[in-house]
Amino acid sequence: MPGYYDIDDILMEEEPISVVFQVSANGVGLLDPGAERNSVEKGAKVDLPFWLAHGLLSLEQAVSINVPPCFTQKTRKEIQADAACVDLRIRCPYFYELGCKIVPLVNDRSIGLFLRYAFTSRYKEILSKSHSSSMMTVPKFVPRLTKEEAQVFESARDSMTAFKKWRAGGVRLQKASILGRKRKTKLPDGPSAP
Amino acid sequence: MYGRRASQLLKEVDSCEAGQLVPFNSDVFDQVIRECNEHNTQFQSLIRKMVEQNLDIETTRNDDHYGAAVHHLSLLRNKRCLMAYMYNRAEVIQSFRWKIGPVLPHEIQEKLHFSEKEYFKNHSAAIKSYMSEMDIDLTVDMVPPKDPYIQVRVLEDIGEVSLGDHSISLTKNSLHFLRRTDTEQFISQGLMEEFLE
Repeated sequence: MPGYYDIDDILMEEEPISVVFQVSANGVGLLDPGAERNSVEKGAKVDLPFWLAHGLLSLEQAVSINVPPCFTQKTRKEIQADAACVDLRIRCPYFYELGCKIVPLVNDRSIGLFLRYAFTSRYKEILSKSHSSSMMTVPKFVPRLTKEEAQVFESARDSMTAFKKWRAGGVRLQKASILGRKRKTKLPDGPSAP
Repeated sequence: MYGRRASQLLKEVDSCEAGQLVPFNSDVFDQVIRECNEHNTQFQSLIRKMVEQNLDIETTRNDDHYGAAVHHLSLLRNKRCLMAYMYNRAEVIQSFRWKIGPVLPHEIQEKLHFSEKEYFKNHSAAIKSYMSEMDIDLTVDMVPPKDPYIQVRVLEDIGEVSLGDHSISLTKNSLHFLRRTDTEQFISQGLMEEFLE
């Protein structure tokens, strides 16, 4: 469960969700591009960020939520055809996180199974490529990964790099990465006393 | 409005490399605070409308209530974004003390908000106070040691430095065989590197 300060969780909740208002709401006309006055009418179909759609549904029962397009049959057929090749990032950068959060809010009970299938199908490819690719290049398939998958890829690659470094020996103390490379470091006033 | 600008702050943090810092975005931060004031004004206005109609604001579920709920949720969202922005930057700033030491290079200083500079100073003072009290240097042994001594090459002129019971001249490109704990901060700052033959 991500914490309050988790950046990925916060950004994931910015994903647009299609909702239908079950009530009218005054003073929030900006939310509805088609609104004629400063309110949203009952029955209006509007795209809201997830955090607002979720709040309005869970706390107020004010909206109903439609299944996002990235979890509909079109995407599922593509995943079943060749999971590793599908560009999930373009559909939703936080495909899995959003999927986990949307399941309790919509009527479609099969989203969970679909998420698991997509992840297990793609995971093997991600892992094998992370072990064989160098730190210097970005493999062709990485831009098609979701944020979560990219993190798995980076972790696995970093792990392989750390293992190789450990096995090869070599220097173990190095410059703090924040200071960057090949830059003149200004000496602070007087030498530092460690 | 409605959290859009607030999440922009976190997109900046997210696109930044881990452990690095981008300059503090005062403009967007201040705009989000102004948005919060606007949401609050609208919220109060809708609640007042209900009160004027002698409605029970605890139980009534009318158009004004749902509008107020949207503004309330937007306030909570903005708050979360602002606090996460400060918190995640504070984590990185704390890590500087452990990686670089008590003095920050100018190129890092200029990325900090005034309150963040104060935070770093206070964090640094707290660590120093604790280390003095306990008579231990917590910032060494970041990597498990193999040997108490290490051979180093000096990358920048550091000058005359007192190390323990003697002083030593750390001139550029000179080689020295020193206690590892004496060298770690210099290596971390990029003034020395470990030398392997």
